[in-house]
Amino acid sequence: MPEEPKLAEELKKMEYEPLLPVEKKLISYSLIIGAALLGILVWISYTFFPGGH
Amino acid sequence: MEEKKQGISEDWLSLWLGLFIFAISLFAFTGADLLGWGISTKAWTDVSKATAPVSKKFQPLKGEITKIDGQKVTLKKADGKEETITVKDTTGLKVGDKYEKPGISGFTSLLLTYLFMLVVMAVGAAALRVNIGKFIVGFTIVFWLSYACWLIGHYAYIAATDAKKAGIPWSLKLTGESGFIVALIAGLVVGNFFPKLSAYLKDVIRPELYIKTAIVLMGALLGVKAAESFGLATAVMFRGLCAIIEAYLIYWALVYFIARKYSYIGKEWAAPLASGISICGVSAAIATGGAIRARPIVPIMVSSLVVIFAVIELILLPFLAQTFLWKEPLVAGAWMGLAVKTDGAAVASGAVTDALVRAKALTMEGVNYKEGWLTMTATTVKLFIDIFIGVWAFILAYIWCAKIECKPGEKVGAGEIWNRFPKFVLGYVITFALLLIICLPATRTVQPVEKEIGTLKEEVSKAEKQLPATTDPTALAALNEKIKAGKDKMKGLSDQIKEPKATLANAKTATDGSNSFRVMFFVLTFFTIGVVSNFKKLWEEGIGKLAAVYILCLFGFIIWIGLVISWIFFHGVKPPIITG
Repeated sequence: MPEEPKLAEELKKMEYEPLLPVEKKLISYSLIIGAALLGILVWISYTFFPGGH
Repeated sequence: MEEKKQGISEDWLSLWLGLFIFAISLFAFTGADLLGWGISTKAWTDVSKATAPVSKKFQPLKGEITKIDGQKVTLKKADGKEETITVKDTTGLKVGDKYEKPGISGFTSLLLTYLFMLVVMAVGAAALRVNIGKFIVGFTIVFWLSYACWLIGHYAYIAATDAKKAGIPWSLKLTGESGFIVALIAGLVVGNFFPKLSAYLKDVIRPELYIKTAIVLMGALLGVKAAESFGLATAVMFRGLCAIIEAYLIYWALVYFIARKYSYIGKEWAAPLASGISICGVSAAIATGGAIRARPIVPIMVSSLVVIFAVIELILLPFLAQTFLWKEPLVAGAWMGLAVKTDGAAVASGAVTDALVRAKALTMEGVNYKEGWLTMTATTVKLFIDIFIGVWAFILAYIWCAKIECKPGEKVGAGEIWNRFPKFVLGYVITFALLLIICLPATRTVQPVEKEIGTLKEEVSKAEKQLPATTDPTALAALNEKIKAGKDKMKGLSDQIKEPKATLANAKTATDGSNSFRVMFFVLTFFTIGVVSNFKKLWEEGIGKLAAVYILCLFGFIIWIGLVISWIFFHGVKPPIITG
């Protein structure tokens, strides 16, 4: 049975990989959509689901 | 080597176990309280009085008869308190007589609870294809240790919210839910200092199974609560959904960015780590690992980190919420759902926060919030997170396959969403929806009529107070007429809501019964979370920069962004208040 790999060893093996353009896109789109949706969702919540406001 | 047959998954098993217990509880609607013998525990100074069957039908009662009204008999108990019971045949009874109703003792109730859970879980263990004999012994140890912790947590000096009422000079006011923390600490002791015992208990140490079963059962309870305050429940659900959409989009991207850019962690590790820290711990790390085709070691290692830090959050955050958020109870509940990772720890911390925040609001401002709304908010948020794991894993799988590491012949189908869908959520939806459908029409009939009866009661009582001071015969006759008319109308209104009230009473009986087991599954969750949290093993393996990223992200911004999102969507939304 192969020996269970240790976390520390796995981390040592890890090599530096620069951020790919597609990853940058994924991160920035996610944050931009998050920020844009925040306003919309807050408006919908306060308008249609007041629950005490 | 003969291949061992794989059993049912814990996810499916929790769905069936929860639905089975729920189905038994539904017999309450036929008049049969089949789970009323389940255990309930209260704050104690005398341990012999700490436990009792959850349903009054099963509790023994004796005292002196002080009033007989039809089949309703009021008894004065030894502690001076009065209790009214329904007696089928009251002939031969008279005021001043002693009356004794037979029932089962607290210990018998506990024993029955243990036996019932043992049988149900042993069947579950067979479905999981684990060694039944070992499971029975292990479950017995875990059950009794967990219950002992739960009982200790109910010691009045720790739990009583009103020391005077409990007849003691002081109390930590931590509520009975402190038993969860005691169970967690006991579990941590077992997991970290008794490795042989925890290895022996391995098949029983299943916090995710217990919490998922508890969540299925909790659906029914929350369905009844939602029927009582339907507007508030829909607001909690929609706002919970909004909160998690925000959390997914902001949390994941930030953690992934920090891991990749500043900690030089590779894609294979960064994606499961981002999901583990930011979304929903273990299941998200595993789903993401699968989606990006990471080696199995990656999500396993991330998961062990997630479990450890979830325990730290579980110990810290409820007390922080009690200190700073007691004026905003639902913000506190949503915060637990958003910030605490793993289903078990999140829902469990919701339950502890529920008790702590309500106790503080009662002590500080005399506001008595209805129990369960914080837990409901934490659970709602967590369940939406769970549901979205599949969607998120699908998006990541698509991006990885199409844009990052495209392997020939690899396709991502929408079926992945269903594969990743947590099936126990179906159980929660079924129990929640069924009780909501049953109770909502009844509540809508009863609530306005009860309000009208309340107003009439006030008017009648006001008129009755005026009687002694009224001497004018015409005014006296008018007052008597008003009182009679008021009483007649109240009787008519009461008759009008008899049936829907009976439906609500049956729903309460059903949920009280299943809730007794829900609580026990919660206690088992806390204890077993402690056992699986092996700090020592993680330390030996080298925490390294993975843990550093985890700590930085979790305590640096996950918890605080979670708090801000919770605040934005839940501030000013308050649970219903118990009046009178």
